[in-house]
Amino acid sequence: MKQKTIGELKKSENRMGYLFAGPWILGIIFFGAFPFLASLYLSFTNYNMLSTPTFIGFTNYRILFFNDSIFWDSLSNTVYHVVIAVPLGIILGVLIALLLNNKVRGMSIYRTMFYLPNVVSIVALSLLWLWLFQPSLGLINEILDPLYKLLGIEPLRWHQAEETSKITLIFMGLWTVGGSMIIYLAQMQDIPNSLYESAEMDGAGWFKKTLYITLPLMTPSIFFNFIIGIIGSFQVFTLAYIVTGGGPSRSTYYYAYYLFDKMINDQNMGMASAMAWILLLIVLIITVGGLKLNKYVIYLGEES
Amino acid sequence: MKKFEYMILLIFIVIGLSACAESDSDGKTEITFWHMSPVGSEGFREMRAIINTFNESQDDIVVLGTGFSFWDYWDKINIAISSRTAPDLGFHTIDNMVVRAEAGVLHNLSELIMSDLSDQNIALDQFRQSQLDFLTYNSDLYALPLTATTRVLYYNLDMFESMGYDIDDVPTNWDELHEMARVFDIIDDGDIVRLGFDPTYGNATYHGWLWQTGEDFFDEDLNPTLTTQTHEDVLEWIVNFNDIYTRNQLQSFGEANQLLGINVFAAEKVAMIVDSDGLYRVIEDAGATFNYGVAPIPLPDENGIRVNWGSGFSIELYNNQKDEDSKKMASFEFLKYLMSYETQIEFADATGWLTSHIQAMDDYTDDKPILRQILNEVDYAVDKVFVPYAPSWHAADWQTFYTQALDRSLTPLQALEAAKAFYLEKKENFEATRS
Repeated sequence: MKQKTIGELKKSENRMGYLFAGPWILGIIFFGAFPFLASLYLSFTNYNMLSTPTFIGFTNYRILFFNDSIFWDSLSNTVYHVVIAVPLGIILGVLIALLLNNKVRGMSIYRTMFYLPNVVSIVALSLLWLWLFQPSLGLINEILDPLYKLLGIEPLRWHQAEETSKITLIFMGLWTVGGSMIIYLAQMQDIPNSLYESAEMDGAGWFKKTLYITLPLMTPSIFFNFIIGIIGSFQVFTLAYIVTGGGPSRSTYYYAYYLFDKMINDQNMGMASAMAWILLLIVLIITVGGLKLNKYVIYLGEES
Repeated sequence: MKKFEYMILLIFIVIGLSACAESDSDGKTEITFWHMSPVGSEGFREMRAIINTFNESQDDIVVLGTGFSFWDYWDKINIAISSRTAPDLGFHTIDNMVVRAEAGVLHNLSELIMSDLSDQNIALDQFRQSQLDFLTYNSDLYALPLTATTRVLYYNLDMFESMGYDIDDVPTNWDELHEMARVFDIIDDGDIVRLGFDPTYGNATYHGWLWQTGEDFFDEDLNPTLTTQTHEDVLEWIVNFNDIYTRNQLQSFGEANQLLGINVFAAEKVAMIVDSDGLYRVIEDAGATFNYGVAPIPLPDENGIRVNWGSGFSIELYNNQKDEDSKKMASFEFLKYLMSYETQIEFADATGWLTSHIQAMDDYTDDKPILRQILNEVDYAVDKVFVPYAPSWHAADWQTFYTQALDRSLTPLQALEAAKAFYLEKKENFEATRS
């Protein structure tokens, strides 16, 4: 039997590699790259999803920027959501991770409990919150009732009032903070014990150890969650779709919701594609900007 | 090793080819049909029976039915049509058929009907001209009306009688409706327990009330009328109908019922409601034991017009540009069966919807006095106009302004002015993308 040369073996291995990666490569090309590029083309067309798209240049973009009041309203609603929800999510995630980073009996149960909402359907979660925040029957107003009476104010209408609808949805969204908490927790457990021991020998207490050791060494995961949080928050949709329907008075009519309506209700795929690309650019700029901050906010150790 | 590689390649090829295989089974032409009676729904068994009966009667055709819930159906069918993967037959909405006909995704039914010489051909004189007109494009039919939806006033006769009233006291105009509604209200500790009537509940729509005054939402050029005195008066009447209660009280009452998933009329939470023919089946399915009746929707005054929003489903043969004549002809055979007298009755029985076949529904409702009264209103039903620049003009587009008026965050006039500006902006933008 003829022995294979190294070159032949390499070739054979490459072939096998491509063969096994084939389905995924084809998937990326047909289900990733093609729709991605097609949507770029469609954003320059008038396309109602039935007839052949007709090229109209930058008209969709011009309309969105200069003659579409809802576009700016939806964008400002989304920015509000991002600005509040992302930092709040990080703070809460880190706090819970700090709590769960203790050696307490049954800790794995607590950790599971905090992570559990992430595996529940967002539709089911939304309906649950809808019950809880229901102004006259909901548990939350029932609990807050003594406070309302003490302050002499009307019970809050939460998602039903224009003034509180956005923040209510943000509160509901925090329910899934367990997802980022797991990442923080993993990084916390990676911090060498020797650092804490040295700090203790220098007289540092829990607060100082957290401030000067835990938090600086967690900056990579905080930064990661910050970027992922921004990307996700700009796409906020499901909660508003189920809980408020974009209302009241379009106060929770987010960018992705408007994009969805452009496509489904107005059958204007061209405009919806243009909106998708504008969103991509916004997120890209913010992400690149964020990554530039990388060296200032991430602690990489003394040697770097 | 080479053998193993070839084996994997072979598996891929076989899987790939099998996906492209001819879909005929046992030499029969296989056609697909999408409907709204999914597995587990009330009408699933009956719908399956309708399809099976057809399949058993055919030597060369087999129909594969797929049911989706009403709420899932629309996204699925629209995406399938646009990606040219639509079923051979499916339901859609009557009012916007023209868009699909214009795009060439529907088969011309006039050609098929005219060239069919069989006794089972579709009897077009059994369908209302008003519906057929909506389904005509360039003088040819591109769909047929499957259902004939209509809206009426349902009233709880037991509640009426408990208050000393009878059928003669059912309101016929808006003033009577308002007066009578108050009689049935029950409030307990600030919470609404029962409401006489609310003009926003059920299937009552702003444009439905508006039409009764003789005014339309759009003019002939499809510009929104909106800021006329009549519009303001109608919206004012709706907003003020239950103004003795706070919006919070009304919203809590409505939402509590919604969260519990109950129909307010079937659960006897309201004495009267404007709803479609579909409520008849809902009441039946809920096992309600109370006596009720239906009547024409009350008119604004003696000059009001007896009209109701009569939306309905069309049935269409989709042309996926695959040049499959055998499928087209097979689909037409199934369409003929679906539109026949017998099947239209079976279909009404399966879905609870009034179907479009005049004689079939006349006979079907013969021993169903309430349903017969509902059927009478079909003759006064008008579908909404299709507005290309705002296909959802009556729903998502209008809802924001309507809610703002109901919430009193805007006065009726402010809401109407804001809505008008919104529609005009939409129209301008729509035209800009087409110039």
